[in-house]
Amino acid sequence: MIAIETNSLSKVYTSSFGKNKVRALNELNLTINKGTIFGLLGPNGAGKTTLVKLLLQIIFPTFGTAKLMGEDIGNYELKKRIGYLPEDHKYPPYLTGGEVLKFFGRLSGLNGTTLDKRIDELLELVNLSKWKKTKVKSYSKGMTQRLGLAQSLINDPELIFLDEPTDGVDPIGRKEIRDILLELKGRSKTIFLNSHLLSEVELITDRVGILNKGKLLREGTVKELTERKEEYKLILNDELPELNKFADDNLIITKNHDGSYSVKVDDIRTMNILVDKLRGENILIKEIVLQKNTLEEMFISLINREEKGGKE
Amino acid sequence: MNNIFQIIQFTIREALARKVFIFFGAIILFVLVGTLLVFGLVDINTLTSAANQSGQNIMTREIVSSLELLIVTPLANLGLLLAIFSSASFIPIMLEKGNIDLLLSKPISRAQLLLGKYFGVVLFVFLNIFFFVFGVWLIISIKFSYWDASFLTLAFVITFAFAVLYALIMLFGVITKNSILGMMIAYLIFLIISPLLLLYKEKLNEFVTSELIDTILVGFYFIVPQTAELMGRIMIDLAMGKGIINFQPIITSLLFLIFILGFSVSLFRRKDF
Repeated sequence: MIAIETNSLSKVYTSSFGKNKVRALNELNLTINKGTIFGLLGPNGAGKTTLVKLLLQIIFPTFGTAKLMGEDIGNYELKKRIGYLPEDHKYPPYLTGGEVLKFFGRLSGLNGTTLDKRIDELLELVNLSKWKKTKVKSYSKGMTQRLGLAQSLINDPELIFLDEPTDGVDPIGRKEIRDILLELKGRSKTIFLNSHLLSEVELITDRVGILNKGKLLREGTVKELTERKEEYKLILNDELPELNKFADDNLIITKNHDGSYSVKVDDIRTMNILVDKLRGENILIKEIVLQKNTLEEMFISLINREEKGGKE
Repeated sequence: MNNIFQIIQFTIREALARKVFIFFGAIILFVLVGTLLVFGLVDINTLTSAANQSGQNIMTREIVSSLELLIVTPLANLGLLLAIFSSASFIPIMLEKGNIDLLLSKPISRAQLLLGKYFGVVLFVFLNIFFFVFGVWLIISIKFSYWDASFLTLAFVITFAFAVLYALIMLFGVITKNSILGMMIAYLIFLIISPLLLLYKEKLNEFVTSELIDTILVGFYFIVPQTAELMGRIMIDLAMGKGIINFQPIITSLLFLIFILGFSVSLFRRKDF
């Protein structure tokens, strides 16, 4: 089952006199399955928020189409099934936390005891029960963020868009938010997460997309994106007498400071040939480890490469 | 309909939280208390016996209506200026980043959102105006023991004049996301253009020899909301119990209002935020 589907979705901003055009989103094709957490990464101005706003019809596409849970995004009734936490959300300072939730709950079609019960549940979930009757203007950034999360969940949505949900939240609060998101995923909710905090995205997402200058550069699971298929760490029992003996055009081998070896190969077959050679020389292999990037390393490397016009 | 009701309710809550409206309410209360004190000192018999015209009832009516108008007319005009000033920022604040994103992410149509905000502001201003008109009417009616509810219709006329001007403020708020331009245009129409066009139509047109210029100016008279008529002659006729003698200013202003509301909604529905 598909939760989000875009087809050549594009947004071009044109200046008042039509001279300058900025492609905020460039023919984006994306499919996100239901019940997953999808993390969208990208530097500032990459088009992350533009994508969310397009999907929620806060802005309109220049061309292309999109569907949420199989329905055309043009139908505003669809938003009964959607939750959204914008990046810079503002709540009326004269309302209390409970009143904010009541207002947005009513707008989402809830009322009466169902709404009151839901408000109490959500405030409990985000640890704001004690602050229910306190005006929002007295809330800290982290508390406002947690209230925002509660607001996005008020209608028990199937699909939740979160734009920088942990912004301004302390490490304990962040962990709590991560736990909430994982719990929601466990209840088959689909979560679309925009975040700068790559380490957090790495911890909870099922799939990740990397967006730069409106283009989706890569998309896949964290594992798929962080694996360096060509690089292995080799730990041997003995020191290799002569490195060049094992190296060839398809294989580069270097010694690391810790005594291990880094092996760069074109494919797994070359690596197996090396293993055969080593064993033929009676060299004992203690460990072969496939080398991985962190998501952050991969992200920085990809964006840098893109900035240099795709060249390494 | 529920969505519009929610936005209206929310807007009234927002208005109550604004200090400027508390100031607005305080002025009304001050005027009402002042009226009460002044009329406590006035001897009605001195006032009514000062005139010895045809009937006591007609005389009382004229005194009552004149007194009511004397208090309400300047304060209603001043109140309208203050209402425009204090409500002009409602739409731009709603359109601020972080506010509008949240509202548009909810299952509410853009038309419902904008109209809900508009009617919420108009309703709140109406409640203030009605409180004022009703207060003046009540004090004077008790004092003179003369009860004529037709004076209360003034609250609707004043609110209508505000509603027409506020539609313009809303339109420019949607276009510019700012309250300044809309407010300036509303003041311009209310204080200068509408009174001048009325003056032209009634007095100055005989001095214009060019038929083209005359047609243009008369055309403008019918297009531009006729707040000068609404806050002048129509209000006086209603207060004097004559009813509305000429409906044209109301009809043309209403058509203007409907057109501006429709245009605002149409722009708002296509606008990126």
